[in-house]
Amino acid sequence: MKKTLFAVLFGALVVFGMLSTGYCEIGVTDTEIHIGQWSPQSGPAAAWGAVARGTDAYFKWINANGGIHGRKLVHHYFDDGYNPARTIAGVKQLQEQRGMFAWVGGVGTAPGLAVKEYLMQKKIPWIGPAAGSWHWVTPPQKYLFNVYPLYLGDAQLLVEHAAKKMGKKSIAVVYQEDDYGEQGLAGTKHMLEKYNMELAAAVPVAMGDSDMRPHAMRLSRSNADAVLLFISPVAASRIIGIGKAMNYAPQWMSSSTCGDCPLMIDITQGLYEGVITSSFGMLETGEKVGDLQHINDPKHKLVAEYKKDVYGKFAARDERWGYTFVVGIGLAEPLVEAIKRAGRDLTRERLVEELEKMENFRGVLGRITYGPLDPNNPLTRIGQQELFLHQCTADGGSRILTNWIETEYIPMGH
Amino acid sequence: MTFFAVEDLSMTFGGLKALDKVSFEITRGEIFAVIGPNGAGKTTLFNCINGIYPPTGGDIVFKNNNIRGLKPDRVAKAGIARTFQNIELFSNMNTMENIMIGRHLFMKTGLLRGGLMWGRRSFAGKEEIENRRKVEQIIDLLELQTFRSKFVGGLPYGIQKKIELGRALAAEPELLLLDEPCAGMNAEEKQDVVFWIKDIQDELGITILLIEHDMNMVMDISNRILVLNFGRPIAMGVPDEVSVHPEVLKAYLGEDDADDASGP
Amino acid sequence: MIDFIQMVISGIAVGSSYALMALGMVLIYKASEVPNFVQGEMALLPVFIAYMMIYSYGYSVFIAFFGALFFAMILGCFLEFAVVRRAKNPNILGLIIVTIGLEMILLGLVSWKFGADQRIMPFPISSYSSVMIGDLYISTMDLVTLFVALAIMIVLFLFFRFSKFGVAMKATQQNPTAARLMGIRTNRVKMVTWGISATVGTVSGLLLAPVIMEPYMMWNPMLKGFAGAVVGGMTSLPGAVFGAYIVGVVEHLFGGYVSMDFKAVVAFAVIVIVLCVKPSGLFARHYVKKV
Repeated sequence: MKKTLFAVLFGALVVFGMLSTGYCEIGVTDTEIHIGQWSPQSGPAAAWGAVARGTDAYFKWINANGGIHGRKLVHHYFDDGYNPARTIAGVKQLQEQRGMFAWVGGVGTAPGLAVKEYLMQKKIPWIGPAAGSWHWVTPPQKYLFNVYPLYLGDAQLLVEHAAKKMGKKSIAVVYQEDDYGEQGLAGTKHMLEKYNMELAAAVPVAMGDSDMRPHAMRLSRSNADAVLLFISPVAASRIIGIGKAMNYAPQWMSSSTCGDCPLMIDITQGLYEGVITSSFGMLETGEKVGDLQHINDPKHKLVAEYKKDVYGKFAARDERWGYTFVVGIGLAEPLVEAIKRAGRDLTRERLVEELEKMENFRGVLGRITYGPLDPNNPLTRIGQQELFLHQCTADGGSRILTNWIETEYIPMGH
Repeated sequence: MTFFAVEDLSMTFGGLKALDKVSFEITRGEIFAVIGPNGAGKTTLFNCINGIYPPTGGDIVFKNNNIRGLKPDRVAKAGIARTFQNIELFSNMNTMENIMIGRHLFMKTGLLRGGLMWGRRSFAGKEEIENRRKVEQIIDLLELQTFRSKFVGGLPYGIQKKIELGRALAAEPELLLLDEPCAGMNAEEKQDVVFWIKDIQDELGITILLIEHDMNMVMDISNRILVLNFGRPIAMGVPDEVSVHPEVLKAYLGEDDADDASGP
Repeated sequence: MIDFIQMVISGIAVGSSYALMALGMVLIYKASEVPNFVQGEMALLPVFIAYMMIYSYGYSVFIAFFGALFFAMILGCFLEFAVVRRAKNPNILGLIIVTIGLEMILLGLVSWKFGADQRIMPFPISSYSSVMIGDLYISTMDLVTLFVALAIMIVLFLFFRFSKFGVAMKATQQNPTAARLMGIRTNRVKMVTWGISATVGTVSGLLLAPVIMEPYMMWNPMLKGFAGAVVGGMTSLPGAVFGAYIVGVVEHLFGGYVSMDFKAVVAFAVIVIVLCVKPSGLFARHYVKKV
């Protein structure tokens, strides 16, 4: 009898305890907002782990500046090793045991696909998956807001630049055998069709393959004068290196994935000089188009501020101020902005409302725009479609070739 | 000085007593045989002496040192070599190489010296020449000349047995353990083996501890005999004594008696 | 035709690094009878140690490389002594799991200490220069790797044939019981075999590192080396080398003429075909042990 009484009292306490916060939303208390994220801190994709660390430093910086409407952001990120089974297990554990208000970032198409259903069914907002995949917007989901531009856009800009601006006659593609590479291939084919051009060669790269000699050879035999790379930085550096050894020197071009000039110049021992890549962040353009600019250029006020405060004060000592780290900040910016706009009375529905109202929001990345959910219009959830091209210089800087260009969404049945 | 002695040696596997307080002593230069029916613990005794099994009790003394529980390579270093009932050769090497490995203990040349010194005059060269000379002696003694550079895996059984003996001799042991040197041989080959064993004793002065099934051969060459049954020593003495010992007759010939008794 | 020759040359070039890994694996298989899945990581850690010696302590490349080889020797010995030998009544499956466990630990250690960033090992020869013979090319780095691999094979051959320790290793591999009774310290022999294997692997790692260094760099060469070793019969050193070159050449010809998509996995098809035709591998020598 006594036990039952205690149980009842205890239960009541718990219920009142929850009510006393005044908010019924999961993951939001009087003083805290809990945000979840996964990323590979170990395993073959661990170089992408910097995304979550970028977000983490960004949140710490916001908290240090007083948080948002009196609440601190509590960032829970875990290592999934780029293994979808671990992603889903970790997400469920954090969601069900700790209770996340929303999820941000999340590296990889495969890990993201593993948890997409779960998050959408539970109506949990997920902002800015760290992978440019059409799976995030076809069909558009009420609670899933894309930020990362689709690789289709990278292909568009690169092909256009090669064919129209540089007058290249023969274009080849090297693509990683996954969603990323296939998008690059599809986008390239789409554009070449538009220009009535033939694809000189399409060379697939298997995940984990470290011997790129046959790939480079096939490219050189195709005599392509421009080669688009939709592969990992390591594979890109190998292929360009072997091309060099073979005396094959086309215009190498790459997606934003291999767009971190200082890193690429470093791991290719300078061979990356002159490579043109797309990019969606870190650089201020406008009247500066055509000038030599470094990513560390303090002229970009926001980038400079982030570098000094977010990176300088809240990143681990051996963290590199690189593209991936900054992307981690950029992907979280719309979420933070929407939380600010939602005010003190924060719920998931309010958050979605505020995101849908977002128009031409500008952080370190391109402009971000959403709209009221339309199941037939991916643009209501695609977020950012702006990219620009730059060309890496020998000293690890880059020359900006274009202003921000809005890419078109190419519907691809998939 | 005790040359070789086993004192109260016991070996248990789980609950099974393979050896139960076995004691005997061998004097330098003799041929000492251990006999007994299958499963009497003869090979276990050898394995304990060699250090393949650590005995559960008792002592093994070799030249006044207790060698019980030493690792096999230490026992070999101390001067005890052996052959096996089932041949244990390096089947992917030729006869010469197999016997050469018996010289392992006498090779001093380390990796560095061997690599740096070339030619016959160098230390490594001299050492190699000396070792090869010893091996050739053994090959001559055992009449293995024709098989010198043949891979041993494909050689006839009797020859392999001889090579194994040769390998044991190459180690220049003071005590040689022979585990059924005549197993699987015909009468003529057995005769040869008997001669060699006597030669080894006489010419090389090596003391021999022998396990054998063939009673005639044992009686022929042994100076003294120990009889084991179910791990227990039941008799010890010169061949004539042992062969008439009632316990021995019962144990060793027991099966025959039993057959006779149960016969019609 | 020129394409064909070029593919064969490139196949041999990549085969050299596979061959070094295959040699290391066969050495250990012969000593401990386990396919050694920590082969790649036994090379990985020393390579990163060399990197650290250069960048954190300012040693010259040559000193750092010798340091790495020395460290590899110690590491291999240590793994055998501290872990593999401790396995009680090991069966093959248990030992495989032990090596996979070690693989994960070493990989984790390198990832944790050095991070996932790609790096480049300084090297006196440019990774991207090449020698042109008519229309054929071979990169200087590949040429160096080929010669180093051949040199190591010759050294190993001489070592096994003529040195006391080499003969003891051969004896231990063929019949450990008999070897011990000949006064050979088989445990020590096994331990040093692991050390030598790690050192050979590290040579391969040091030759790959000037192109790119990252924690997963040894995974692919290790798998392909394993494939080569299996093709060669797992117990024969020349067989392993030959098998590794076969794997390299087949990969390149397959990638060039049939399908680039399956280039990375064709090695395993080669294994299946070889094992169907000759189940013990192309160069296996069989010792039928009488019981």
